[in-house]
Amino acid sequence: MTFELFIQNFFNALTVGSLYALIAIGYTMVYGILRFINFAHGDVFMVGAYFIFFGAATFALPWPLAAVAAIVGSAALGIIVDRIAYRPLREAPRISALISAIGVSFLLENLGLVIFTGLPRPAVQPEWMVNPIILGNIRILPISFIVPLVTAVLVMGLLWLVYRTRPGLAMRAISRDIETTRLMGVSIDRIIALTFGLGSALAAAAGIMWAMRYPQIHPFMGVMPGFKAFIAAVVGGIGSIQGAVLGGVLLGTVEIMAVAFYPELSGYRDAFAFVLLIVILLFRPTGLLGEKLDDKI
Amino acid sequence: MLELRDMHVRYGGIHAVQGVNITVNKGEIVTLIGANGAGKSSTVRAVAGLVKGASGSIMYTGRDGAATELIGQPPERMVPLGLALSPEGRRILPHLTVSENLDLGAYSRSDRKAIAEDKEWIYGLFPRLKERHWQKGGTLSGGEQQMLAVGRALMSRPDLLMLDEPSLGLAPILVQEIFEIIRRLNTEDGKTILLIEQNAYAALNIAHKAYILEVGNIVLEGSGKDLLQNHKVKEAYLGG
Amino acid sequence: MTTSTAKTGGYTGIDLNADRNRNSTLGAVALAILGLVWANGHLDGYQMQLLNLVAINAILAVSLNFIYGFAGMFSLGHAGFMAIGAYVSALCILTPDQKDMIWLLEPIWGPLNTVHTSFFVSVLLGGLAAALCGFLIAFPVMRLGGDYLGIATLGFAEIIRVLFTNWPALTNGAIGLRGIPAYANLWWNYAWLGLTLFVILAILKSNFGNVLKSIRDDEIAAQTMGINTTAYRTMAFCLGAFFAGVGGALMGSLVTTIQPKMFNFLLTFNIMMIVVAGGLGSITGSLVGAAVVTLMLEWLRIIEYPIDVNMTYLMGHAWLQVLITALALAALWFSFRQVRKSGRGLSMKKALWSLPIVFCGLILAGFVLRWLNADILPAEFTIPGIPGMRMLLFSVALILIIIFRRQGMMGSREFSWNAFYRFFRVPEKQKNIPMAKGAAMEISGVTMRFGGVTAIDNLSMTIPEKKVVGLIGPNGAGKTTVFNVITGFYRPQEGRVVFQGLPMTQLEPRTVCAVGVARTFQNIRLFAGGTVLENVMTGCHVRQDSRWWMAPLRLPMFHKEENEIRRKSYALLARLGLAELADEKAASLPYGAQRRLEIARALATDPSFLLLDEPAAGMNPQESGELMRFIEKVRDEFDLTILMIEHDMKVVMGVCSHIWVLEYGRLIAEGGPDDIRSNPKVISAYLGHQATETA
Repeated sequence: MTFELFIQNFFNALTVGSLYALIAIGYTMVYGILRFINFAHGDVFMVGAYFIFFGAATFALPWPLAAVAAIVGSAALGIIVDRIAYRPLREAPRISALISAIGVSFLLENLGLVIFTGLPRPAVQPEWMVNPIILGNIRILPISFIVPLVTAVLVMGLLWLVYRTRPGLAMRAISRDIETTRLMGVSIDRIIALTFGLGSALAAAAGIMWAMRYPQIHPFMGVMPGFKAFIAAVVGGIGSIQGAVLGGVLLGTVEIMAVAFYPELSGYRDAFAFVLLIVILLFRPTGLLGEKLDDKI
Repeated sequence: MLELRDMHVRYGGIHAVQGVNITVNKGEIVTLIGANGAGKSSTVRAVAGLVKGASGSIMYTGRDGAATELIGQPPERMVPLGLALSPEGRRILPHLTVSENLDLGAYSRSDRKAIAEDKEWIYGLFPRLKERHWQKGGTLSGGEQQMLAVGRALMSRPDLLMLDEPSLGLAPILVQEIFEIIRRLNTEDGKTILLIEQNAYAALNIAHKAYILEVGNIVLEGSGKDLLQNHKVKEAYLGG
Repeated sequence: MTTSTAKTGGYTGIDLNADRNRNSTLGAVALAILGLVWANGHLDGYQMQLLNLVAINAILAVSLNFIYGFAGMFSLGHAGFMAIGAYVSALCILTPDQKDMIWLLEPIWGPLNTVHTSFFVSVLLGGLAAALCGFLIAFPVMRLGGDYLGIATLGFAEIIRVLFTNWPALTNGAIGLRGIPAYANLWWNYAWLGLTLFVILAILKSNFGNVLKSIRDDEIAAQTMGINTTAYRTMAFCLGAFFAGVGGALMGSLVTTIQPKMFNFLLTFNIMMIVVAGGLGSITGSLVGAAVVTLMLEWLRIIEYPIDVNMTYLMGHAWLQVLITALALAALWFSFRQVRKSGRGLSMKKALWSLPIVFCGLILAGFVLRWLNADILPAEFTIPGIPGMRMLLFSVALILIIIFRRQGMMGSREFSWNAFYRFFRVPEKQKNIPMAKGAAMEISGVTMRFGGVTAIDNLSMTIPEKKVVGLIGPNGAGKTTVFNVITGFYRPQEGRVVFQGLPMTQLEPRTVCAVGVARTFQNIRLFAGGTVLENVMTGCHVRQDSRWWMAPLRLPMFHKEENEIRRKSYALLARLGLAELADEKAASLPYGAQRRLEIARALATDPSFLLLDEPAAGMNPQESGELMRFIEKVRDEFDLTILMIEHDMKVVMGVCSHIWVLEYGRLIAEGGPDDIRSNPKVISAYLGHQATETA
């Protein structure tokens, strides 16, 4: 492989990995607090992409405004989903919430099918994103810089929120001991809603950037990235934001680089994530950065 | 300040507290004493809003003089009213630092400066916590965790502080220390305290008033001093 | 769970109805076979296909339920096992000639070309291959708990799908296999379903079923019972995988074309839906669920097709217009009320009830437009089919089931022949049984067991007429159980209760009330939403002669009786000193008054025998003193026998003329208050050394 190709693949990997990381954060935060896989999270990612499509194409909003609207709309969707489908099940066995989440996932996908139809739509791409930057022999799309950069900024912001603010403190406390946290005057429903809102906003940001990178939007576009991002969260250590970022970037790198070095494996691309998952779990059952949670006996 | 009238707690088929009447007046240390499973913890957990099966009446009169019925209120409503519970088993958040644990106790407040002052005051009460303020809660020793639990409850500036078995699992010397601090919180800072204890001797010594629970019922009540002298109490709880 | 001995004599652990039940099962199987013969001759191809799908879905659901509902492993890998079963089986039954035709892009892997087996063997091999894969992945994933297992098995299924897409020499890649011989007819499918049920039920009904459930409920406790949990979980996983493979093999032969993309997560989701809708942990539920969900999914296809609406046809029939308008208005009104009732703020209920409002509103709007003869609405129009609508409704259904009826249709209950026959049992003619003179009720040799615990052990009591008598004993002695036996909530395994010559042990609670035995409850059970008067009036219902449909007809008989009941209830309240509280909400009454109201309600049923369960509980000495006088007053004024459970010794010793003492379900003493007070057994068991002080 030439150096130029390697650089291009490197940026590709970074882009895909960043997007996985953004989605994975939502999984990891919800799992950290409620201990269930929010299967519908990947579909919020899809809805985010549709929102910006309709914002920019149908309502002719300027692009940045459409992006903000899509993020806010998706955050609201995440909160509503929690309110309707998950909150009634807080006291129920976790498996119930999980099945409810699978139901919501199919609901959103098929709702997308009914409302948006199954036809893939082209994403609206601002000019400056599609004109490649040429450095010698290397052609790189600006989006390949933008995605990792935006991701880094968003993750920094999130880390600041979680580690430096009071709601963040409450989030970290809830993930370990809901009852005690309530005793300190924390309203858990509000904090959980905030968690869903933040996670969904990040997923929507990922959805928007995904649509810029792979400009095709369809109702099932969230399924595979969703599964893979969850796997990234597990690989990184579920409950850990840094772990989700690490897992996402790792997964993106493995996918892109394996195909880059062994093109004959390209058909298996969707299976890498699952193989990586099983291998990692065999050696580190709590993921790369996950803390060991003791079972109470 | 706090008045329980015919308060029952039921968990499924278990009738853990069978209609107790308890009064806590402002400025008092009141203690509930009894064996394991007598319903002491269930009683304070009901006051703190942590049990679903509570019935009867729990009236709380806050600093503004308004009376509130606590039954049916969620636990997060209690701190703004001026109640704080340091739960049984300490329940320190192990992955947060000492300082963060204290911040969590002040969650319902927004006066940053006063919070910082209170934190210093807590560090004054428990110098050990100051030394370790950057350590994770989980790395503290049992006694330090207990101090942190009490300190965390104090961070909400409660009028009524409820302590569920603060001496549990502590060495005798630390027990003395904790009880000395409880006494000082009462006399110097004017905190009203509801204290749950198995260590009847220590508790009765500092309590203005005491209730003795057996299988969910109050079997004796009186001032701490009287109960210390009481025949039956001596026999059952003070070891002869 | 079956409670096989509830009706029969002693508790031996052996089902005395085993013969009958076995014969019933054989009969049902024979009937099912006859049904299939009929179906084979009379149903068209589409209906046959549905019937076949029901069988295959039932196999898949039962196998998933076995893994998940019984062994407690959250597995999302069913589609993967099905794919393996389908492909292996297809490779076995495709002839070499066909294989030559199919593998065009890349030749088939050598040895496979020569394989050719019978259908039965191919299905078996498909199942075994799936089970083998289950075994291989069980090793790494079985250590993972809960959701991790779910995502890992889901990953396995995806890997299988990707692998099959990219391995043309084995699977012919994404194009898949066509022309698989359609051997899977009604007989094969239902025979395999029968075999699945036979194997899985045999395991679940044996003690190994208990072992699996114990691992599900508490793995650590199971390990301390000496159970090799890993081995059993692996076994359950592999067995489930085997039948999933079988289901996949049958499915492949039924639809004759398979492709890797068929076996995606949606397929697992459909089966999961069946299991959850039927009830996790109920095989019966999975069978019912398979039938309901399969047929519903087919039936819902309608909404994905265009629907023609002919307004002229609708408008042409006046009666049809009137009917539809009336129905829509009624539905509108009802939904509005529901929305109003569901309170302020956004709630699930409100959202749900808003849907019919929108729907009916649209219908009515359509009518109005046509009446106005506007051209806005065409006379004939087509509601376009909406792709995706079917799965949309289905996912909504899944969410609603999980939120509102988490246990599914069957919960974890199973069909049982005993329950079946109990349902159809003709009540035996009651014979009068002679009783001792002056006795109101005779309890003789009653034994009540729950599982292995004996709550009442050979209890005999002869309760005299028109007396207040007491039943005392420590907590858990079985006192309330005695009440529950008398009032028909429990059926004792042995012994009988005779009231006024009538055997009581087979009666339903409501019949017990009708023959004149009323009770109160330890933890007051008033109708909390009703007023005091309404509570008492409800008590009068059992003696009411008029029927509910007379109310709207305003029959004179109804009016007369209604007034009579109101008057009687007031009178009753007045006699018990509750008259001024008549219009208060029952729940708002103070504790002591609630106790008295519960007694008043019991008295409203005109009993001649009254059971009071801890009437003085939670009362202070003054209140309980009042209660004593109250009870004596009730006995005298209402001329009845009272049996009470009470812990307050002052009350018991004060009002009871005769006292029975229970300990661990056995009678340890009976007699007058003085005998009981001085009985050494009673003192040590119940009264304790303080007896002399308090009593």
